[in-house]
Amino acid sequence: MAEEVIRVEDFSFKYRQTKKYALKHLDFAIKKGEFVCVIGQNGSGKSTLASALVGLVPQYFVGNLHGRILIEGHDTQHTSISELSTMIGLVFQNPFNQLSYTAGTVAEELAYGLCNHGVPREEMVERVDRIARIMRIDHIIDKNPLELSGGQVQRVALGSSLIMEPEIVVLDECTTQLDPMGSEEIFDIVKNLNADGMTVVMADHDMERVARCADCVIVLDRGEIVAQGSPNEVFSQPDLREHGVEPPDFLKIALALKEAGVKVDRLPVTEEPTIELVKEAIHS
Amino acid sequence: MVGANDKHILETPVGRMNPITKAGVALFVGLTALILPISWLGFVFTALYFIAAAKGNILKPFAKIIFSFGIPITLMLLFIQGFYSPLNKTFILDCGFAKLGLEGVLNMLHIVGTLLTFLAGLYILNQTTYIGRLVAALNDIGMSPKAGYLTLATLNVVPQMQRRMHGIQEAQSARGLSTGGSALERFKAFIPLLGPVVLSSLTDAQERGMTLETHGFGLKENKHTSLVTNTNTPTDKAILYGAAVLFVVAVVLTVLNGVGIIAIG
Amino acid sequence: MAAGKKMGFFEGIKAQFSTKSLVLIPIAVGINLVGGTLCSVLKLPLFLDMIGTVIVASLSGPWVAALTGFLTNVFLSLIANPVYLPYSVVSILCGLTVGYMVKAGMLKTKWGFVLIWIALTLVNAISASMITTFLFGGATGATGTSVMTAGLVVALGDILAAAFTSSIIENFVDKGIALFIAYFVVKKIPRRFISQYASDAVDDAEDDVIE
Repeated sequence: MAEEVIRVEDFSFKYRQTKKYALKHLDFAIKKGEFVCVIGQNGSGKSTLASALVGLVPQYFVGNLHGRILIEGHDTQHTSISELSTMIGLVFQNPFNQLSYTAGTVAEELAYGLCNHGVPREEMVERVDRIARIMRIDHIIDKNPLELSGGQVQRVALGSSLIMEPEIVVLDECTTQLDPMGSEEIFDIVKNLNADGMTVVMADHDMERVARCADCVIVLDRGEIVAQGSPNEVFSQPDLREHGVEPPDFLKIALALKEAGVKVDRLPVTEEPTIELVKEAIHS
Repeated sequence: MVGANDKHILETPVGRMNPITKAGVALFVGLTALILPISWLGFVFTALYFIAAAKGNILKPFAKIIFSFGIPITLMLLFIQGFYSPLNKTFILDCGFAKLGLEGVLNMLHIVGTLLTFLAGLYILNQTTYIGRLVAALNDIGMSPKAGYLTLATLNVVPQMQRRMHGIQEAQSARGLSTGGSALERFKAFIPLLGPVVLSSLTDAQERGMTLETHGFGLKENKHTSLVTNTNTPTDKAILYGAAVLFVVAVVLTVLNGVGIIAIG
Repeated sequence: MAAGKKMGFFEGIKAQFSTKSLVLIPIAVGINLVGGTLCSVLKLPLFLDMIGTVIVASLSGPWVAALTGFLTNVFLSLIANPVYLPYSVVSILCGLTVGYMVKAGMLKTKWGFVLIWIALTLVNAISASMITTFLFGGATGATGTSVMTAGLVVALGDILAAAFTSSIIENFVDKGIALFIAYFVVKKIPRRFISQYASDAVDDAEDDVIE
């Protein structure tokens, strides 16, 4: 049994001077090494949840809060965001808003957090080199980050979070603003990190991708968890569309086959099993 | 501003110099020109800065800024101070409408000389120093990381916003927004150009704050370290101390002059 | 911050400089300068280089506005001309003036607006003309105002009076328009965004029902 690294206990949050709660009674736990996807339409609370996991809610965004979130046993309300950043990293949508605007080179940008934490220079150089290789940005290490493409900057952003060596990373629609190539490259890196044991919490719109790699899917609607479980369990729930979530196309194929009278004993949500299912349907 | 990769400037003797040395020289030499009542002194300093600019591979832009600033202000102040300075007692030229006073002209030379000295020193500092190194050096001598952030972020954000505004401007004029015509028409174009830049940058600010917070910006106790390094060679120290001594001598001379022990100028 | 608990003067200033406010400063400097650039692109005889300062004043308070003004001049003196550096005093005073007046709620009423406008014009004109006269001897050559000052010296015979007059003329229209634009921009900022900046806002606990 792997240890729990994230524990959310009856957590609710409302931004100051807004009418509605952005998150309501969330209650779940995430184990070490898990790949968890959070889905739901815009405004469902995905970003607020991401901010809450890293402590930005309620330490940066103020408002009313109930319940608590524990990251590796540390309460996000009483642990500084800086300290939390060594346990949990965050990457969000707009790459250019994740630059410090203090660096003239990618290397300096990567090192920014280390500078603030007072890490000695020798160690800094070593960590920058290692992260740059993992993020595949070692060839642009001396470039000005403001002159890079969105995909490259997003890899710098991911790197500058991971250089603090957290064991959890939260990705809040971090590929939405990127072109398909840039998006795939980030995703590929994240998959490798997860394979090496990193816990990943990812909010995403690409349902095929969610179905392909999530161990667990959480569906949010108007701040509440409306479904939770393995991709198969979650995507085969009939009321998913009412919560603003469009199931993956592969699932639609399987459902269409079922409707057409083909005997379907399982509902695949990814490519391979769907192909198998279609083959079986053709042969029968 | 110099990028981290502008080797043709950064790898010159002036480019390699410690930023604090350059800043100290600009300050002490400028103050020396300011306090000593010698009207030609600033021009001597400015001439010396030309040599430094040449050593730093920036002679052409340096000369351009010195002359394009120096000539108009000299003419303007020659007129204002020369003819209308309350200091004027000795008149050297009668132009009919007013008389040119010697004291005003000397005062004008002192002002222009001092301004050029500061301009030259700061321009060389600014154009031969990678700003990240300057901030790292200032951090080493105790400047707060927050002040460092404000300096660097301002220098990085402003050009980015200006580029964005030019982008919007091009898009708007492609859609037929007039940026010509009468003053009122041109003014009407102001809001649709500025508005989007302002509102989008405010949301950007909030997200950038998130980034800073998750990268340890709020830490107070730690000593701040830096990836960028500065060398402080014996030459650097000698130049800095030299400039400081020059300033101290200038202070002493000014005081002696003030109490009437010696007479300068 | 609990309601009714008064902060000391310096604590109050310190509270204005949260990370949220600090990241606003470079952007506000940018707004100031973009306003200025836009004026020269559109060939308008204005500066409009205080819009960002006014916005910051209404979001983060007088001292952050003062720092914004100061940094605007530091930036200009670094990239354009060190002549702008002494005038940072003017920008600081203007930031404080508009900051404290906005804090007193004056940007919300018509007469408050006019009062801010007049105060800003006077503070700017007095401090700027003193610097122009006593530090630069009457003109800096950096702006068109210098030519006006030169002309006025002939008419008035006094350098300070000439610098002051040209500064009043230039500032009255300019600060009025800048305030007007900033007023509309602030009105357009979403409430959810503004409420995150209000340092003394009380958490709205009375209607606190999770539904």
